[in-house]
Amino acid sequence: MSAAFWVWFGIAIYVAAGLGIALMARRRLGGGVSEFFLANRKVGGFVSALTYSATTYSAFMMIGLAGLTYRSGVGALGFELTYLCGMFMMVFFLPRFWLVGKKYGYVSPMELLSDRYQNKGVGATAAILALVFLVPYGAIQLMGVGYLMNGISQGVIPVIAGIIIAVVCAIAWSSIAGLRSVAWTDAFQAIIMITVSAAVLGVVISSLGGFGSFFDRLESAVPGLLTVPTAGGAWNINMFIGLALPWLFFLISNPQVSQRLFIPKSVTAMKQMLGGFLIFGFIYTLISVLWGFSATLLVPGLENPDLATPTLLTLPIIPTGLAIVVMIGITAAAISTIDSILLTLSSVWARDIHKGLINPGVSEKGQLKIGQWVIPIMAIIAFVFAWWVAEQPGGSLELMISPLAAAASAGLLMAVPTIFGAFFWKRGTALGAMFSMIVGAVIVLVFQITGWKPLGWWPGVWGFVVCVPLFIGISLATKPPQNKAEEFIGYLRGALKKGRFI
Amino acid sequence: MSKLAWAWTWFAFLLALNIAIPWFVLTHVEKMIGAFLFWTIWVAAAIISAFIIFLKWKEVKR
Repeated sequence: MSAAFWVWFGIAIYVAAGLGIALMARRRLGGGVSEFFLANRKVGGFVSALTYSATTYSAFMMIGLAGLTYRSGVGALGFELTYLCGMFMMVFFLPRFWLVGKKYGYVSPMELLSDRYQNKGVGATAAILALVFLVPYGAIQLMGVGYLMNGISQGVIPVIAGIIIAVVCAIAWSSIAGLRSVAWTDAFQAIIMITVSAAVLGVVISSLGGFGSFFDRLESAVPGLLTVPTAGGAWNINMFIGLALPWLFFLISNPQVSQRLFIPKSVTAMKQMLGGFLIFGFIYTLISVLWGFSATLLVPGLENPDLATPTLLTLPIIPTGLAIVVMIGITAAAISTIDSILLTLSSVWARDIHKGLINPGVSEKGQLKIGQWVIPIMAIIAFVFAWWVAEQPGGSLELMISPLAAAASAGLLMAVPTIFGAFFWKRGTALGAMFSMIVGAVIVLVFQITGWKPLGWWPGVWGFVVCVPLFIGISLATKPPQNKAEEFIGYLRGALKKGRFI
Repeated sequence: MSKLAWAWTWFAFLLALNIAIPWFVLTHVEKMIGAFLFWTIWVAAAIISAFIIFLKWKEVKR
């Protein structure tokens, strides 16, 4: 039987299992917006940890990050671990999001901002930011699946076919039972992701003579990739900060993950979610980077580094069955991220744009209906973007998966001062929030499109250094929603003390 | 200084190390015991400090 047959067979099993889990989740689906988008805030610690992990870690890990490591070395590890270090901020933000979510009934992070700043325009601005910048991020997941299936089937399955499969699964997982089906399928997919990637790395490292021999070979074959800046000039400080800064604040800037902070059913579940995720992230990052390094030894000289993983998986040292399972693991990583993005965008559209701006009187049923329509529409937009990027010539750093992911997060970074202000600064105002987000996002978009990097600083850095003083300056010059700020931050102060949060 | 301020200071210190050590101390160390090992230990320190803080959290009665 050909590799293509086994690829299709593996996909069929995966889709059937995912569909079964999603349909099981549907049996528990209740009514209402909070139920559909947040599983009624009653998700246990184990599933919370796995859905958070699967949503955060996507195709960019075993394809994009591995490709970045392959091309540019150890700086990729520092870049990705900066994100994980940023998760330290969860000790501040997780209890705060969770407490106010329960008290005020927020469904999306944008709703929180609208209420805190007493202006629906703030939530709508953040929502538009998410809609604009999450499309490329969602598209990256689709590209990852396309490249992978194409590589493992040795070109028999076209990239576009992989992209279509990912789109259809993501629409199904997110539509069948909302967050319940997304969380359950995420949990299933997270387990696949980490176990199969660890297994295949073990096989590759064994074939290289174990860790000691692997490290020795790296040090003698590609010593320039083990330091920063690398011998080829990558990972100068500007590049590192440009890529890592948006990643550092990913936990609050990306609504598909910050929305997860509303879902744990208890403090114990929150602790399990955070602890489980930190362990998962640490292991998965090391696996992905070591995987990329192993590709530099085993398949050197590839023009497009995003093909390092698919090419490595076709080597004879990896049994075909294991390669197919790894492909499914990476596909799972991609789909578990894009379905969460679709679900979050649908909630943002239904709650913050439709209800917030267009039709404030819309019923919960109406919001759900709109949200369910938005899921396929967003999926199609991401699909078109992915298709376009996949058609571009490979090898350009700007079109690699990891830089595209960081570029998307660079736009979302512009909401960070507003989010900090909501929790920590009573003087923050709606005008400061909206103006800083809009100007910052325009700067990021213009610099991203033109490729302009004054002083060598990347678009996200420029956007951030402009939007922070804008938020502070305009807020100081305008009148804050004093009563709401006192009530919101005052409530948190008391509640945080009760739970021994800091 | 409050616990909140201590935690933010510690986090800022970790971020400063993130640039200072790999680019200024280990920049000529082309081995796995250089930047690779540093970043692994560095993030482990961040994770352990998060555990130390969040393991003290307790259920909130509402």
